[in-house]
Amino acid sequence: MYGFSNLLIPAVLFFALGFLARLIRSDLRFPPDLAKALSIYLLMAIGIHGGYELGHAQLLTALNSVFWAVVLGLTLPVVGYFVLVFSRKVDALNAAAIAAHYGSVSAGTFLTAMAYLDSNGIPYEKYPVIMLAVMESPAIVVGLLLAAWSRRRLGIVRDDVRADAGGQHSVGILREAFLNGSVVLLAGSMLIGAVVAPKSMAALNPFVTDIFMGALCLFLLEMGMEAALRISEFRRMGLVLAAFGVLMPLVGGLVGVLVGRAALGFGVGGTTMVAVLAASASYIAVPPVMRLAVPEANPSFYITLSLGITFPFNVIFGIPLYHHMAQAIVGA
Amino acid sequence: MKRLRPEKMLAIISPTELTETLTNMLHREGVSGYTLLQTSGFGSSGPQTGMLDIDTNVLIYVILSEERVSTLLDDLERLLRKGYHLKVFVSDVGLLTI
Repeated sequence: MYGFSNLLIPAVLFFALGFLARLIRSDLRFPPDLAKALSIYLLMAIGIHGGYELGHAQLLTALNSVFWAVVLGLTLPVVGYFVLVFSRKVDALNAAAIAAHYGSVSAGTFLTAMAYLDSNGIPYEKYPVIMLAVMESPAIVVGLLLAAWSRRRLGIVRDDVRADAGGQHSVGILREAFLNGSVVLLAGSMLIGAVVAPKSMAALNPFVTDIFMGALCLFLLEMGMEAALRISEFRRMGLVLAAFGVLMPLVGGLVGVLVGRAALGFGVGGTTMVAVLAASASYIAVPPVMRLAVPEANPSFYITLSLGITFPFNVIFGIPLYHHMAQAIVGA
Repeated sequence: MKRLRPEKMLAIISPTELTETLTNMLHREGVSGYTLLQTSGFGSSGPQTGMLDIDTNVLIYVILSEERVSTLLDDLERLLRKGYHLKVFVSDVGLLTI
């Protein structure tokens, strides 16, 4: 398998360890809030780093990255939605909820890709960090629009729930889409990183740099256990849906490689990162919004797909594959 | 046993995301207090390990009079009809008073 030896990096190996620990029914368990704390730390660290680098970056390239992040976030869910609807394995509302996950991004996959590139000594542009922050939200809005359109097609009329106090519910959902914790933390940390004085940044380095990979390993250990826990859910989904969890990231990865190279002009590392962003599926920001806004959809489908299939696929096979694709297109 | 006042106890198991909606509902019904716990388990939505926000449920306990229960149950029923994955239990309890 191409690039297999490149996968022998601690982050990926800890993910595999977590996966294995759950499969062999080890009693390895994390304290309940540790994974949440680690994800907060990782988003803060990547935000500060990215923001600091971007403080010295070119404005035009940064704006171009934002533009293409929005384009990817808006178009990928539409592709996913129609693939799922035509597969006839889920109804249109489940298709809308699942598709939204595939237009958004997984910070865990992004960080693993960073670890992969760092370990293999491959330099990469910092602009994909902005794309990571931007791509969290547009797909959610597209998912909500697709769900509304699906309800109209299915003839479902949603009356105002008294408990939601009228329009407050819709406002709450949009607020969740654009101001959810991970978006605010990532964007805020980037802003802090961009304006902070270099001396202050040096003082932060032990926290945001030196222990970063260790924290990522711990986080991926837990995510490996979470992914393995969802294996039993595959039976409920069926083979076609499971195949979507592998094929959709491949489509996204291909589109991401083309955008990273042809539209943004990145090198191999940056192009790989854009491919990883386009190929990954959210399991942090999107599920809560879909649970609120599309309650008719089964969370088991979209969480199992994004966390149980796409995330492990990208971590083990996807990242080296997108790197290979980036090498091929940049070399050409 | 004279010190026990008969009341109704609602136990609501809900996805974390609905917490604000539910607590707003309780406040509107004039409920003066409730207890909220983060929980894990397994259900139709798959495993709820409590490790990430996406797989954490909340369990809300609230004690209220029989008259108020009915209105609250109407609101909860509307949420269930919309497809939200809630479990609601109602039981008769005795509340210790002084």
